[in-house]
Amino acid sequence: MLHCVNMTVLERQQARSRKCHQQDQDQDQDYQRSSLFDVFSSSITMDGYDDSSLHMPIMPPPAPAPAPSSSSALSRTTTSITPRVATSLASPTLGKKRKPLTQKVVAGGGGAEQQSENKKDKKVKVSGEEDSSKITEQTNKEEVASAENSKGSSEAQNHKPDYIHVRARRGQATDSHSLAERVRREKISERMKYLQDLVPGCNKITGKAGMLDEIINYVQSLQRQVEFLSMKLAAVNPRLDLNIDDLFAKEVFPACAPNFQSIGMASSSDMSNNPAAAAAAYLDFNSVQQLVSCSNGLINNIGMSMNPSPDMGLRKTIATPHSVSLPETFLDSSSCFTQALPPSIWEGEFQIQNLYNVAFDQPRASSFPPSHPFTGLVEASNLKMEMEM
Amino acid sequence: MRNQSSVKQEFLRKWITGLRRYSCEKKNMSFFERKKAIKLSADLAMASTRDKTTRWSQALIANNTDNVFIASSSSSSPKKSSSSRSRNMTTLMRRSRPTRVKSAKKEMSSARCIAKRLMEKRTRKLKNLLPGGESMDEGCLVAETLDYIQSLRDQIEVMRCLVTASQLIINPS
Repeated sequence: MLHCVNMTVLERQQARSRKCHQQDQDQDQDYQRSSLFDVFSSSITMDGYDDSSLHMPIMPPPAPAPAPSSSSALSRTTTSITPRVATSLASPTLGKKRKPLTQKVVAGGGGAEQQSENKKDKKVKVSGEEDSSKITEQTNKEEVASAENSKGSSEAQNHKPDYIHVRARRGQATDSHSLAERVRREKISERMKYLQDLVPGCNKITGKAGMLDEIINYVQSLQRQVEFLSMKLAAVNPRLDLNIDDLFAKEVFPACAPNFQSIGMASSSDMSNNPAAAAAAYLDFNSVQQLVSCSNGLINNIGMSMNPSPDMGLRKTIATPHSVSLPETFLDSSSCFTQALPPSIWEGEFQIQNLYNVAFDQPRASSFPPSHPFTGLVEASNLKMEMEM
Repeated sequence: MRNQSSVKQEFLRKWITGLRRYSCEKKNMSFFERKKAIKLSADLAMASTRDKTTRWSQALIANNTDNVFIASSSSSSPKKSSSSRSRNMTTLMRRSRPTRVKSAKKEMSSARCIAKRLMEKRTRKLKNLLPGGESMDEGCLVAETLDYIQSLRDQIEVMRCLVTASQLIINPS
């Protein structure tokens, strides 16, 4: 995982350098450095970092927005670390990994501002908590131009930047700790903004506590939904296997002309939460989808000609010739669902067998075993359709 | 942003695999056993789609890998990685503990105290909700929550589709 690194070191540097710098000198560099934050989330490495207050994993941004928004938000807070700075950082108690960088670092050479920074740099002390972070160098164009060793600086420029450059804003505390805290807080508030978009009904809530409440409720409701849906699935499916691999085989059924009117009827009678989505899904073309559509058409056409009897006993008598736990299924599902499953289900399943060219006068005796694979296949293909939306 | 439909398809595939393994092992499961199996394989499939990039997914897999059949089918050797993950968890807990101690020692005014206590209560609640959330600091917690909510939404959509499809088959009229 990536972690943001080394901010306190850099921030401390900047805090000190700012005290003797004029702000307008750095602004050019700031705007150039603002692009640094584009790589912020991709190139931070850390070794043995102990301070948990800055120990934040950088998640892959949940929306395309984060990278540009973070860069714009922090563009005013970027700072410049000159090669001298990095040298002085490298010289005290830091770990071995800094050493290869020092050579690169020395290459930077001196503009006027770098020289004035140098005085401050020598007074820089690295606190224990940032000891082992790895630092690579950011040089801007000015420094490249003035660099004595162009090779080192260009190498630093092409090298993946690992620093987070933070600048204290005008009128704010420049203490390194507060800088780090501020960055951390900004990150958290940024993520809270994404959460606000994700969690419905959070647009009006501004406080962190209220937001957290909403988030907690939402996560709880999502988890409860998962529970409920798994219960529903367990009730609907007498067996666990769904025979999806037949779905991917795609060659079981003869190609039939899709019957969209019947599909529309089927989907409109659907009790799902998104009937429109289901209907739209059916209109997507796919060999499997056509298969499903024609099977649905068949079910509807033939089911209408049959006379469903609302008798539970009838269902049981239908089920008993088969040595499968079908009554159990119905009992389970009727206990779970508010609506009773009509006996036309059985007719529907039996009609499906027509696709297999099984003799229709003996639907119950012979149809049941093959009907389940077909059922699994069709429902899986339904699912595939809906997911391809 | 990860590709939503491919994530959902991956989740579905892994889930079905897990379910099939489960059904091979046990015949004639009761309703509650089935429900538990479905939920477990769904959770594990969802966690494995994140490919161990998030802490909650690691924690979820680590917590549930006492079920051997799921372990072998849904992700590559989660049993092996669960031990390393538990080690990571403990190191993370050790790391995050100092922060909590520091905040407790600070002096505050009573109003701030109350506010802070409210926040702590809520973050604790959120940590309990999130798998593996106990060992996260605040910034990490928010990011993980974000990812977890997205994955939960994907999972619920796929499950709902499956329920719809099976209901549609059973009740076409």
